[in-house]
Formats: sequence, structure tokens, C-alpha cells
Amino acid sequence: MSAAVRFELRKLAAQWRVRALLLAALLGPIPVALVMSAQANPPKDTLFGRFALDNGFALALMLLGFLGQWVLPLLTSVVAGDSFASEDQHGTWKTVLTRSTSRNRLFWAKVLVNLGLTTLVLVVLAASTIASALLVEGAPALTGLTGQLIAPGHALWLVAAAWLSVLPPLLGFTCLALLMSVWTRSSAAAIAVPVVLALAMQMLGSVGTLEPVRPFLLTTAFESWHGLLTDPRFTGPLLEGFVVSAAWAAVCLAGASFILHRRDITGG
Amino acid sequence: MTTTPSPRPDGSPPAAVEAVGLVKTYGSVRAVDGVSLRVEPGEVYGMLGPNGAGKTTFLRMLFGLIRPDSGTVRVFGRSWAESGVGVLEGVAGFIEAPRFYPYLTGRQNLEALALLDGGASRGRVEEVLGTVDLADRAHLKVGGYSYGMKQRLGVAASLLRDPRLLVLDEPANGLDPGGIRDMRALVKRLASGGLTVLLSSHHMDEVEEICDNVTIMARGAVAFHGSLPDLRALAPEPGHLLRTTDDVAAERLALARPDLRVGRDGDTLRVAGQRAATTGLVADLVAAGVGLLELTPTQTPLEELFFMLTDPAGTAPTGGAAA
Ligand SMILES: Nc1ncnc2c1ncn2[C@@H]1O[C@H](COP(=O)(O)OP(=O)(O)OP(=O)(O)O)[C@@H](O)[C@H]1O
Ligand SMILES: [Mg+2]
Repeated sequence: MSAAVRFELRKLAAQWRVRALLLAALLGPIPVALVMSAQANPPKDTLFGRFALDNGFALALMLLGFLGQWVLPLLTSVVAGDSFASEDQHGTWKTVLTRSTSRNRLFWAKVLVNLGLTTLVLVVLAASTIASALLVEGAPALTGLTGQLIAPGHALWLVAAAWLSVLPPLLGFTCLALLMSVWTRSSAAAIAVPVVLALAMQMLGSVGTLEPVRPFLLTTAFESWHGLLTDPRFTGPLLEGFVVSAAWAAVCLAGASFILHRRDITGG
Repeated sequence: MTTTPSPRPDGSPPAAVEAVGLVKTYGSVRAVDGVSLRVEPGEVYGMLGPNGAGKTTFLRMLFGLIRPDSGTVRVFGRSWAESGVGVLEGVAGFIEAPRFYPYLTGRQNLEALALLDGGASRGRVEEVLGTVDLADRAHLKVGGYSYGMKQRLGVAASLLRDPRLLVLDEPANGLDPGGIRDMRALVKRLASGGLTVLLSSHHMDEVEEICDNVTIMARGAVAFHGSLPDLRALAPEPGHLLRTTDDVAAERLALARPDLRVGRDGDTLRVAGQRAATTGLVADLVAAGVGLLELTPTQTPLEELFFMLTDPAGTAPTGGAAA
């Protein structure tokens, strides 16, 4: 198993798309923070938008709300969606599967490496966004969603927790991209489908009559951090989001594993 | 995961490859149709067949890339059902054209693949690169490799596993004459070191040059199975094409010899028989005052046999000489 993981890491490390992704996560937030701070009017309709021009915490939270709509699913799909499909594209399934590596081992190595990379990307993106926002706009006390005033030290902790809370649904999207990668055998489709599904879930979630399905949507979990910024705090949605994300991930991985084990390797 | 391979009842070591009744269908196409064969340890075994005969499909089943509809294949006594990927212990090779990660260099590809095998020393990577004559190109990305270079890298990647059985699917495919010569020399050299080799080919001459035993496949089924001497014994007599100053007289003289079979290839006269019969005919022609313009051997007997076995419908250019 560890051999297959090291093999996958070796390949990822050599790919420009992985380096570009990490670089984007690291540097992308800087111009965004600069552009935001140069705006004349705050985006009042957006969550935390009202204070986004003069409070770094508010800006970091506003950006988190925005990224959850489709940027985060895109970030994880870019590499995860390519993971299995690129073996088809390069015709290398037969190269690796004729070397005493079982499909199972290779499958879990790819899953682990992609989950790890997504976590790393999120951590880098969160750190860079929070740091840029605070540097550009300062760190005064933050006004919470129920109007309460949160001291800067505590606010930093809450903002970091909010960013961390999107990890489960983000990993859910990673697994969705992996499933698409195995299923469609096309990187392009496996990158596009999770993004489109994220937007579709977003829309479904906003339709009033569909309220009962809302908790089961992966995108709903992207908003579960809202409860951290209210007084009193409510953490039910975080737990719910975690369970829903885990269920999505399990179903996607089970499907992907099933497809990979059954398929004939005839290309290449 | 792996089970100990069971020796045969008489205690001898298991066959390197033993296939029994392998079948694989794609829709209505029976790509491999009940193939059984046995490769003994230490031999060079050829699978010969025209395009679409099912050679690649057979080898894919050996490697577990596709599942047979029925039948089993054992490698050194292990089957996929019992041992899973343990079947491939001691086995290396490639199917069709070897493929690599284009964004890695030749050396990086080998190093990465070696990780899957549990790691190989840097020295070993350099050694196999040297064996296939790629050492000076190993620092270049595989994306820029020529077909022949990838083919050689495929051999290097296989050797890296220190296999006991090397499986090569048309290793000379796409190589230039020099490359073909080098590849055959390499296979012979490896085989003389005790390696078992199973190789597929379109070319009778390749199999004739390097193989001990051969299976000839046609449309998924086995058309011949045996040693090269057995195969040669089946081969038809050598044939010749004849152009003379008087083809009518020449044909009459040829038909008069009971030891020759006579046919026509378009306008050209064709005779088949032992060497003495053919030289006898030439003497008859000279005696009758018929000028001999050209005497060309047709395909080698083994090639002719190959066409007979793989194309019994007779569309192959064997004609009367083979009948
Ligand atoms: N993935 C596939 N889907 C459908 N048919 C296939 C597939 N793979 C092979 N076949 C069919 O199976 C038959 C055997 O093909 P195979 O590739 O095994 O032949 P081959 O002996 O290797 O030929 P070649 O000398 O051209 O490499 C052919 O009729 C081919 O069309
Ligand atoms: Mg083939």
C-alpha cells in the first residue's frame, strides 16, 4: 500500500497542474483581498459583506461563503478528476497493473493521495486568505450574525474553524470527482461534473418547496459554519454536514471501486 | 494474498504458463475461443497469428487486465482466482505498445514503477537502461520518445522486475530493421540466461529464429501447437515462380513431371516440389530450348504453412502449390 502511495505522490509531484493548484491557493487570495479593499461600496447583500471592506475577519468569511458555491469543488476536481482518467488518457493502466499492484491497492492509494492533497490545498488557501484579509484590512472586533461583538482573538479562532468546517463536504466533492474520473475515463468530464453538480445542488437548496432534501445536499454542509458565528452558537449543522459528507464520500468511493474492479483494461 | 504454487502430481515444477480452455467474447466476436497452451520453464514460446487472431486478448487475460468468460490460466501454478495479483510474481512484460507517463523522463518512469515493485536500487535502473541502450536518453521526457525508444523502455521496465517469465506482445512491432535485429538478439540473450519468454508475433521468421515451441492462432482458436521441427514437418514443399520465353511449353514440361505440382499465379507459372524436382525441370527446359528468364522462390515453406493454417478459406496467395 505505502509503495502505491509513494508511486502516486511521485507522479503528482511532477505534474504542473498540482503545482499550479497549490500556487493558486497560496497566491490567489492576495489580489482578491487587495481588490476587495479597494472597493468603494461594501457588498451588503452578501453574508459578512457589510463589514468586508474594513474587517479582515469579515472579508475572510465572506470569501469562504463565496468559494463554497463552486470554486472549492473546482479546486478539488482539477486534480482528483484527472486521477484515474489520466491513466486511461496515457494508456498506463496496463503499465501499472502488470506490476503486481492490485487494482484495490492502486485505488486506495489514489483516494488517499487525493484526499490528502485536497486537505493541503484547503489549509494553504485558508491560511493565505485569512492572512491576506487581516493584513489588508486589519483585525478589529468582528460583528457576528446575531449582532454580537466578537473579540479579535476569539474571532481568529472562529474564522479558522469556519474554514476548517468546509473540509468534510470538500472531501465529499473529491470523492465525487474520483467517481467521475473512474466512470467517465475523461478528465474534462470529471472536472466539470462536480462543479456543475455543486451549482445544481446550490439551486435545488434554494428552492423553497425542496426544503426536505436540503440537508442531504453536499453544498448545504458548506454553510454549516454559520452556526459558529451566532450567539448562542449552534453546532448541529456541523455534525449533520459531517455525516452527510461522509455518506456522499462512501457512496462515491463504493461506486468508483466497483466500476474499477469490474472493468476490462483494453485501452493503451 | 499469495499461495504457494502447487507442484504437479509427479513432483516436477509447475508450468510457467498453463492455459486451459480460455474463452473471451466481445459481443458476437469470439476473440479467444477455447485456447489451451502450456509454456515450460526456460523455453522461448511463440504465439503466432495474423491481426485479430486473439494474441493480445490472451495475454491480457494472463495479466489479469481482462477476465476470461471461462477457462483458467495459471502462471507458475498460480491462478487469479486463488492468488489474485500474486499471479504476477516473477512475471513482467508488456501488452501492445508499452505506455509510460509522458511528463516523466525515462529514468523517472522506471524509478516510479520500481516503487510499485518494492523499490529498486539506482544502480539497477541504470543497468537496465544500459541493457536496452537508453542510458544516454534517460534524462529526456518520455513524451518526446520515438516509438522504438518507448519499446525499449518497455523492455527495460520489464527487466527491472527481474522476472522469471517475460511476456512480450509483438516486441518488434514498429521497429526498424536494426531495431528488430537488436530486439531479437536481446530476447535470445535473455533466454540463454534461463529466462522463460512468451512472445506474440505476426512473423514466422521471428518465431522461427528465436522460439522453441509455438502456438499458431487464427480467429481466436489454436490452429497449430507444437515444436518448430513438428511445424517444419508440416510445411509444404518449397515453391517457385517461373518466367520463360515459352510459358506454354514450360507448363507442359512441368506437368509432365509427377514430382512437381503446378499452378498459376496470374500469368506466372508456379511449381512446387523438392529441390531435385525443380532443378530437374530447369534441365528439361534447357533441353527443350525454352529460355529461363526468372526463377523466384515463393514464400518460405513455413510462411506458406502459416497462411494455410490461419486462412484455410484459401484467400491467401498459396494457391495450387499449397493444395
Ligand atoms: N476491447 C475490445 N472490444 C471489442 N472487440 C475487441 C476488443 N479487443 C479485441 N477485440 C476483438 O478481438 C479479436 C482479437 O483481437 P486481439 O487484439 O486479441 O488480436 P491480436 O491477435 O492481438 O491482433 P494484432 O496482431 O492485430 O495485434 C479481434 O477481432 C478484435 O476486434
Ligand atoms: Mg495484438
